[in-house]
Amino acid sequence: SGELYCSLPNPRNVHFESVNMKNVLHWSAPEGAGDGVLYKVKYSVYGVGKWIRKPECRNINRTWCDLSSETSDYEEQYYASVKAFLNGMCSDWMETTRFNPLTDTKIDPPMVSVSSTEKSISIILTAPEKWKRSPEGESISLLQVYPGLQYNVSVLNKKTKKRWFFSISNNTLVVPWLEPGTAYCVSAQIYVTTPLLHSGFSKEHCIATLKDK
Amino acid sequence: DALLPAPQNISILSTNMKHFLTWSPVIIQGETVRYSVEFQGEYEREYANESWIPICECSLITATVCNITEDISATVAYNLRVKADVGARRSEWGTLKGFFNRITTSLTPPLMKVIADGYHLLVELEDMGPAFQFCVLYWKKGQESRMQQKVVKEVRSVVHLDTMEAGPDYCVKAQTYVEAINRSSSFSQTQCVRAQGGRSMWLV
Amino acid sequence: LCRISMSMTEIRSGFSAIKANIQARDPIRTLSILSYPHSLHKVKSSDRCCITHQLFNFYVDKVFKHCKTEDSYVNRKISSIANSFLSVKRKLRQCHEQNKCMCGQEPTEKFKQILANYEGLNVTSAAIKSLGELDILLDWMEKS
Repeated sequence: SGELYCSLPNPRNVHFESVNMKNVLHWSAPEGAGDGVLYKVKYSVYGVGKWIRKPECRNINRTWCDLSSETSDYEEQYYASVKAFLNGMCSDWMETTRFNPLTDTKIDPPMVSVSSTEKSISIILTAPEKWKRSPEGESISLLQVYPGLQYNVSVLNKKTKKRWFFSISNNTLVVPWLEPGTAYCVSAQIYVTTPLLHSGFSKEHCIATLKDK
Repeated sequence: DALLPAPQNISILSTNMKHFLTWSPVIIQGETVRYSVEFQGEYEREYANESWIPICECSLITATVCNITEDISATVAYNLRVKADVGARRSEWGTLKGFFNRITTSLTPPLMKVIADGYHLLVELEDMGPAFQFCVLYWKKGQESRMQQKVVKEVRSVVHLDTMEAGPDYCVKAQTYVEAINRSSSFSQTQCVRAQGGRSMWLV
Repeated sequence: LCRISMSMTEIRSGFSAIKANIQARDPIRTLSILSYPHSLHKVKSSDRCCITHQLFNFYVDKVFKHCKTEDSYVNRKISSIANSFLSVKRKLRQCHEQNKCMCGQEPTEKFKQILANYEGLNVTSAAIKSLGELDILLDWMEKS
């Protein structure tokens, strides 16, 4: 079909937003375009010759498109591109920079579960899973993706307001010899030294040691 | 224009992986002398026609010191040189005598504070930058043969080492380790603390 | 077994600082030096040392010298990476001389393909593309 008259301003800031390798393409509407702008999206695997259209993101009016499925192989790198349409006019294709899922994703904090006895607390950490196509799909922990993954654990004594830090590689930690009947708040962070990736700290999970019998 | 004298006494101050080039000032009465610094790694000497790379943070500066840490970022032999400028007049390059390899940096023992919090042995370590890890040794006083070790890769304010039983002193010392040059500092002074608990308990 | 210590963190941080700049200078999306036609991830673990050795030689001997840019910050980071690669290249050569990093036919073929990809472009484009693919090499090296 003849190419439309491409003088529409371009979509702006086309980029991937990725968390736990859920890779979503985002962009901003063309400057001054107003309502009614539609978009279509394509992507390509770096080093492979062709652009592939994303049918579910054809003629959409939203400014994002989930490309997690198309970019799930984190041993590859990708480009994505967006084109805008309005009243018979179109924009140029606007591309992302090269996207490397392994180094360009953000990692969620680990899940923290805490239990306590009279004088100790036990902490179990669970690293987030890599995005998967469906709940029935195979679960891949980010631990498998980043073998050097470690945890920083912060334990705050609510009475003394003193905070201790632990650095652990395995996902369990028991802190013995605590004060009975005292509240402790635990939060944890994931860090990978290379490639350098840090999650934020999880929200605090507070628990009290049992009272002295 | 008469040539300016080249900067002299060019030397390196390198401590804990922070590297500084220093030189003596070139004195020209009534003039402000400015200096520029360049470096050359082993790669440049052997593969890039002995090219020199300018350090823009130390280009036409009046100070006689330049922080070259960010550019000395490989464990190879580096050449360094400085020249002086006054207006259109400039000097020959003054070059560091011999090479500089960061493997020679002097490593100081870490600042360390040992804390006993109830039955818990903790240590506070100084953040010396991403290149540094810490090897912390701790033992029950009198039982040096049963020394335990913990490697701390990321310094957070207070790092938990272990639990203590009530009664004996527990002693701690630490050294830094820099993986990039595979060297360690000497150990810090030993510090000993005792558990602060009323009742005596013993872990099975 | 060839065991060498290298500061991957420093090389990674040097590359991250210039990745966007260098990759933006490479307009060719349809060709990869390291990954075409077969990904490095298809290399057998027994061949990893050989390919690593050859790739470090490739980057030091062929790539970095053709990557000079008009940006002095980028040039300084390239120098940092190049000198780190030179340091590692030496250690790999020692392994090779101790027969710990031998090359069979398959890795040799794979490396020939990489050279063919490289020589299929003009030297500056090929060098910039190779430098822009450094994370492909680093990711592969760190994969357990």
